[in-house]
Amino acid sequence: MLALLRQLSWPELRHHPWRTAAALVAVMLGVALAYSVHLINASALAEFGAAVRAVNGDADFSIVGPRAGFDETLYARVATATGVAVASPIVEADSVAFDASGERVPLRIVGSDAIVVARLAPALVPRPNAGSERFVSLDPGVVFLNASAEKRLGGGATTLSLQTASGRRDFRIAGSVAAGGPALAVVDIAGAQVALDFVGRLSRIDVRLAPGADRAMTIAALNLPPDVRAAAADEASERMSNISRAYRVNLTVLALVAMFTGAFLVFSILALSVAQRQQQLALLAVLGLSAGQRLRLILAESALVGALGSALGLALGGGLAAVALRLLGGDLGGGYFAGVAPQLHVDALGTFVYGALGIVAALAGGWLPARAAQRIAPAQALKGLGLALGRHSPLAFGVLLLLAGAGLAFVPPIAGLPLAAYASVACLLIGGIACVPGGVGLALAGVREPRRAVPLLAVERARHERAGATIAVAGVVASLALAIALTVMVASFRDAVTRWLDVVLPADLYARTTLGPGGGDIATLPARLPLQATAIAGVVRAEAQRVVALPLDPARPAAALIARTIGDPAANLPLTGSLVAAPVGATPAYVSEAMAALYGAAPGTTLSLPLPDGRRADVFVRGVWRDYARQYGAVVIDRADWRRLSGDERINDLALWLAPGASTAAIETELRRLATASGYDGSLLEFAAPRAIRATSLRIFDRSFAVTYWLQAVAIAIGLFGIAASFSAQVLARRKEFGLLVHLGLTRRQILAVVAVEGALWTAVGAALGLALGIAVSVVLVKVVNPQSFHWTMELLLPWQRLGALCAAVVAAGTMTAFLAARRAVGRQSVLAVKEDW
Amino acid sequence: MAEAVLEVARLAKRYGASTVFAGVDLVLAPGEFVAVVGESGVGKSTLLNCVAGLDTIDAGSVHVAGSDIHAMAEPAQALFRRQRLGFVFQAFHVLPHLSVGANVGLPLLLQHAPDPARVAAMLAAVGLAGFEARLPQTLSGGQLQRVAIARALVHRPTLILADEPTGNLDPDSADRVLALLAAQVREHGAACLLATHSRAAAARADRAVTLTPAGIVS
Repeated sequence: MLALLRQLSWPELRHHPWRTAAALVAVMLGVALAYSVHLINASALAEFGAAVRAVNGDADFSIVGPRAGFDETLYARVATATGVAVASPIVEADSVAFDASGERVPLRIVGSDAIVVARLAPALVPRPNAGSERFVSLDPGVVFLNASAEKRLGGGATTLSLQTASGRRDFRIAGSVAAGGPALAVVDIAGAQVALDFVGRLSRIDVRLAPGADRAMTIAALNLPPDVRAAAADEASERMSNISRAYRVNLTVLALVAMFTGAFLVFSILALSVAQRQQQLALLAVLGLSAGQRLRLILAESALVGALGSALGLALGGGLAAVALRLLGGDLGGGYFAGVAPQLHVDALGTFVYGALGIVAALAGGWLPARAAQRIAPAQALKGLGLALGRHSPLAFGVLLLLAGAGLAFVPPIAGLPLAAYASVACLLIGGIACVPGGVGLALAGVREPRRAVPLLAVERARHERAGATIAVAGVVASLALAIALTVMVASFRDAVTRWLDVVLPADLYARTTLGPGGGDIATLPARLPLQATAIAGVVRAEAQRVVALPLDPARPAAALIARTIGDPAANLPLTGSLVAAPVGATPAYVSEAMAALYGAAPGTTLSLPLPDGRRADVFVRGVWRDYARQYGAVVIDRADWRRLSGDERINDLALWLAPGASTAAIETELRRLATASGYDGSLLEFAAPRAIRATSLRIFDRSFAVTYWLQAVAIAIGLFGIAASFSAQVLARRKEFGLLVHLGLTRRQILAVVAVEGALWTAVGAALGLALGIAVSVVLVKVVNPQSFHWTMELLLPWQRLGALCAAVVAAGTMTAFLAARRAVGRQSVLAVKEDW
Repeated sequence: MAEAVLEVARLAKRYGASTVFAGVDLVLAPGEFVAVVGESGVGKSTLLNCVAGLDTIDAGSVHVAGSDIHAMAEPAQALFRRQRLGFVFQAFHVLPHLSVGANVGLPLLLQHAPDPARVAAMLAAVGLAGFEARLPQTLSGGQLQRVAIARALVHRPTLILADEPTGNLDPDSADRVLALLAAQVREHGAACLLATHSRAAAARADRAVTLTPAGIVS
């Protein structure tokens, strides 16, 4: 086989350098994209995990409780328990610091006992600056920053201004800590308890067991309170892996789709190469090369292209990942790894897998051409009458795949991932492509033999040599279907988010304390502020909102409880279905789609909610609403009910309805004054108008799809290149036919017209099929993949103008390519091509 | 005396610095069957291409039925070929996606004058009566060359150019094809210029000339 590759295949590949390069580049780009996405995600996950491990240290388990913390007296019991070697008390929270220009910087605060933590988490040990006093690490007014925090707050800063429950508080920056990951500040535990309003409470206790101690028995002997539990050491990194898994898998699938498009280009090029070498292969058959050897020869060529392309792709992918990590950190737009600045982490297994995938993709692309080479009938081929591309697949095969694709769309998620839906998309694409020759045959069956020469040549060629046209049309179908599917999905999602924002932002002005759900217990607004706000000139109505983190499952991030004035839920919530009447005496609640999917909280069921003081309260689920802000679930109950159940009078956000012509600036100034007068630092209030929130939200949305757009563009580029390569090669392969037509008296313009019309017709057929297929795939993406991945739904929106533009662009590209290739082919060379021994 | 069908005078052809032939003189009368023989690579096919206006010339002139073919623009040359010339090739060059009848009738279709009866008559004349609906893949080499001959004559051309028409055939088939070509050419009153390296094929012609780099040697 090596000898055949050297004698036969290598000259062929060298004789068509651009075609060979196109196949190589297609494989290379596909592998590079998929590999770079894998490296970025793996590096970010590894860095995040390392950061978590650095903060958690070498603990065997951690004792954790509600977000509001647990009684610190538990520490003494744990530290002295049998089987416990080291117990490190920790207070931690997400907060906000202010850099030199006053910009807010998210910052995690970790309060630790500097002496104990050294034995468990050396990365958290304070490293005082040179010249610091001796016990500076025990000073509650001093912080130590990690490298990420130093960078975000400006190197050389000496003071840290932190937002706390009681307002701004300044700390002296006295040194650093070695912990990596997002911005982090370490402070003495006593100082953290005061600053974060955690006096008398702890966030967690990290425990290392004594040698030989049994973990389960030790935990059991601790007799922990009901709201406190022992968590695995890697629970946090496991949770991040879980919550980002759907996003990472979707991104990886998209990247693999780019690889699939590359495989298709390999198929196009090899298929036409086999067609052009038909007589050569027939001669080899006559000389003794068996059908099986011909098959293996073409597969070997595919493997060679795949191996070279993969090698180049791995190198390119590594480079892309390194650049992306430097520019984007570990965040590809999904927001899961924001603040992480990972180093490139190359794993041997991933490198092997993606390198092998490139070869597999090329082999998959070369399979049908290899089968065509295997099936060559030497006698016919030597006469120049063989159809080198062999039999085209029967229509039934394509229809079966389409039906399978439709069926797979109804399969539920597997391990929380829409794997069956991905298979459905693959079946629809391949089935649609497989239907092209049969479909064209059916369409042409009713067409009578034209009476004029030019249409006769085009139609009869289409009728009898569909397999050749299928390659070019299939390229149109594949790239266009993917482009249309992604365009429809993104348009549907964006439209859904825009309309959702209109419902969830009904007020004219919003005020909040700037911290997310994690900080909702740290910074709250004065309880009297809503009432005071209604007395401000220009304010018609003011409603308060309380947001509380709901840790319902340790393996998942906390859901959110939103306590607000609901009024008419049908009007004020973006409900997705009808409401169920609540029984008398029951507390009504409205859950998000994610809540219903993850926790089974369907309308008509009862949900048990943990309260801040450790008790639980049952609420009745009346309906489900659409929530694009929280992927892990949210529950909305009326604020009055929340105050009755929990006694929690605190508020986090304020929504204000204004009179026409009211001065927003004056209202903001007055609110700040009122907040400050109530003991809250009014400068920490953040205001936003719905328009600004909407713009920011859509900007975040667009950024989260940036990588999708990039992958889509590459897939389209590869697809269009494949179309160009297919049409060019097909036209060039028809030089003898063109030469004959020139001999018979067709003008060059007539021959160009034949080819241009053929090109336009075929790409129009491909565009129509690609459009239909793309819409079908988009239905699967919108109605199955998104809900199964992220637990939200949306309506399908078809942006016809953009879809029309895409189709028109592809038809124009295909027609122009065919025309330009024909111009090259119809020349002196075509006249000479009829000569047998030229 | 009837006007000559083909008049080639002092024809010369060069590719770069290399001269293919120079000073070729040749005249064909109506109905005359002339064989051009010569070694492989001497330029027989090039000569035919120059006669058909499919290749440029460097000196001399070519008149077909009184028309200077190299003085015409490309569209006029194409029209001239469509109406006045017929071609038979070594490799048949029958379009695989057209039926036998469509292949034979293609020259008539190009002149917007389809004539199924004429096509049927030509197929019958070459011994392929009733083959209209068959596809080329089902025919033997000899049958394919007969289809090509039928196609070359269906539109009653003035001049037939045949380039090694028996090159791909066994001796018996070659002999039959040549006999058919000669008979049909005479029956239609067309002239035929046959390029061949086969002495046996040349023997079928009315006369044979030898092409050398210096020109024609009778």
